[in-house]
Amino acid sequence: MGRKVLAGKVLLGNEAMARGIVEGGATVVTSYPGTPASEIMGAVNWIKKEYRLNIHTQWSINEKVAFEVALTNSYMGRRSAVMMKQVGLNVALDSLMSSAYSGVRGGFVLIAADDPGPYSSQTEQDSRYLASFAKIPAFDPSSPQEAKQMVKEAFKLSEEYEIPVMVRPTSWVCHARQGIDLCEIAEREEVPTFNKDPQRWAATPRFRYLLHKELNRKIREIAAANNPQPISTPQGAPLAVIASGVPYGYARDVLKAMGWQERVALYKVDLPFPLGSAIDELVQIHPQTLILEEPHSVMELQIRGREKVRGRLDATIPSEGELTPDIVARSMATILGQEVSDREELPEGGRKPSLCPGCPHRAAFWALRKTLPDGIYPSDIGCYTLGLNLKAVDTCLCMGASISQAAGLYHSFKQAGGEVPPIVATIGDSTFFHAGVPGLINSVHQGACFVLLILDNGTVAMTGGQPTPAWDGPGRRIRIEEIAQGCGVDFIRTVDPYDIPLLTQCLRDGDHYARVEGKGVAVIISRHPCLIYGQRDEKGVEGAVIIGDECDLCGLCTKGFECPALQKGPQGGPVIVKDLCANCGVCLSVCPQGAIKRG
Amino acid sequence: MVIVGFGGDGIIFMTRVLAEGFYRSGHAVISTETHGMAMRGGSVISQVKIGDYQSPVIRRGEADVLLGTSVAETVRNLPYLKEGGTVITNGNQEGIHCIDASGIAQGLGNPRAGNLVLLGYALAHLSPAVSLEPFLGTVQDLSPEKFLSANVRALQEGWRMASEDL
Repeated sequence: MGRKVLAGKVLLGNEAMARGIVEGGATVVTSYPGTPASEIMGAVNWIKKEYRLNIHTQWSINEKVAFEVALTNSYMGRRSAVMMKQVGLNVALDSLMSSAYSGVRGGFVLIAADDPGPYSSQTEQDSRYLASFAKIPAFDPSSPQEAKQMVKEAFKLSEEYEIPVMVRPTSWVCHARQGIDLCEIAEREEVPTFNKDPQRWAATPRFRYLLHKELNRKIREIAAANNPQPISTPQGAPLAVIASGVPYGYARDVLKAMGWQERVALYKVDLPFPLGSAIDELVQIHPQTLILEEPHSVMELQIRGREKVRGRLDATIPSEGELTPDIVARSMATILGQEVSDREELPEGGRKPSLCPGCPHRAAFWALRKTLPDGIYPSDIGCYTLGLNLKAVDTCLCMGASISQAAGLYHSFKQAGGEVPPIVATIGDSTFFHAGVPGLINSVHQGACFVLLILDNGTVAMTGGQPTPAWDGPGRRIRIEEIAQGCGVDFIRTVDPYDIPLLTQCLRDGDHYARVEGKGVAVIISRHPCLIYGQRDEKGVEGAVIIGDECDLCGLCTKGFECPALQKGPQGGPVIVKDLCANCGVCLSVCPQGAIKRG
Repeated sequence: MVIVGFGGDGIIFMTRVLAEGFYRSGHAVISTETHGMAMRGGSVISQVKIGDYQSPVIRRGEADVLLGTSVAETVRNLPYLKEGGTVITNGNQEGIHCIDASGIAQGLGNPRAGNLVLLGYALAHLSPAVSLEPFLGTVQDLSPEKFLSANVRALQEGWRMASEDL
């Protein structure tokens, strides 16, 4: 059953890339968490600890900051890496575009992880487009082992051409596990030197033109040396497949399983941007060429003559959703004139995710819906997006947008001259730090009036419990109350959401302050540690939660409150699932009959 | 192999044990797992491919083994299974190969270790091609101190039950 591997370790793709970063000799590594890229930084930190390495690592406040901190280390001739998910790169795009012009001295690797599907993102965007937009090269690994190798090659390419280099894995590289060959960790000892060169590091538009010319030269040279790798090239094959990333793996495995290796020529592209004329020559010599890549058409669009090219642009491959081995098999079969049996589809259904039993966000959303049922609730990105299940989330655009959208709602109603309904924005603590603060300053300064409910569980929970600026760090802890105060907010309350009556009162007072008195933004900080990643405070927990005879089977607790520990029992009434119950007691205030109580 | 269930069932742990165990047995292995929002109690799926494969994703109709921590999820994912493939699920329902892995784990003193009872049971069905030792070693290495002995017992108990059935 396969080849014998003698040395190595089974690693997650993200851990393999972390190993590549460390083996590559990075001295500064930064990131902001986001699926599917979140585990890279954690792995860098454990490798650093295991080998006692001297590497500066940080979970930065957002991707733009992370990018700039790491980039500047590379200005000084040292290797650096920054990791983020694809939508995080949107946040760092300004820095990326400009850094392509200034270039780098030490190797600078940007890992931007894409999420075709999407599984855990707002968009299915292709980060390789942003590489081509910025005119930097992009590697596209097809497996964890390759991803590790490409990170190391990216450092070399970056140094050779003094250019930032992207490594773009997708979910099935980041979250695939494989035996990884471990290599030597070379600690690099370049002394940081900042060579004052204003025409490069502080270039004015006149010098920017020259830097652009230089960038074009670099990218032309990289393209000229970029040749698709022939994997198998049978004589007289009616079809060539040129593939990069995970779809290369699908192509390779499908060809083998179907026994089509003698009928299809297979080429692999490691660097889908920039492509030179080599790919055009391949297209010329084959009767037809199928391009397999995801999620969009970065390679296909670089081919000059596309008459014989099949792919997304001629709808051979669907333009949305992730590629699958089934799609790959079907599209190849169609071109080859072969029959493949259609595989049975998975039935619809499955279970939606929900907030955990005892989650403090559920308590906050419950109080919000009960206190201001006619409100509009702009929200944000995080676990608390699952407040959708409690009908307490009305918008979810992108990181930090809840606050500006609350202001947008207010200004729209106000401008029209009608009544302004209660507006309550919800945002998590880390998202507030990440991109919420400018929106808050703007709202206060522009006189917007709404309630801002900051759901502070003390961690970045959705992505695995990463730290926030409110944690102990090398510098001082940053308190949300102080930020709100600094943004000019006069109404600030902090409350534990398990205390439903107090939170209810705060929401009433906040709404009165904002809407009735029209005084501005009322900030309520709903603070309780995450039950998974936070420090649990067990004191004050009395007897277990039970259901009494008062229950009239109204179903409010099982449907409306949707706690996984409160389920419909065999008799139709609710039952407490003991293994799941966190004993938070919030459901005591949910039951109108007072049937839920402590035993 | 396809492993299905809900976020919180320990599917990722099962996947790690499988990938590492087969690797220690000298096989090439590549697997996938679900991270992100679905981990909050939603449907999750892992895939493990043992042998000469480049991609970790399994075509529907090609899995040799389908394992589930819930009957509903196992049934929903049946299209992954090849004809004549092995399907085993935690639960209790007619018409599908069920074992009460959760109940057995409860009896062993750790209700959360049902995933490992199920895994031990499934691995025994693959013997003599696989032996328990590399997987047992993996569980020992990957388990937190607190759950170590319960996890080991759960895997052993699953293996023992299947060996008696077979």
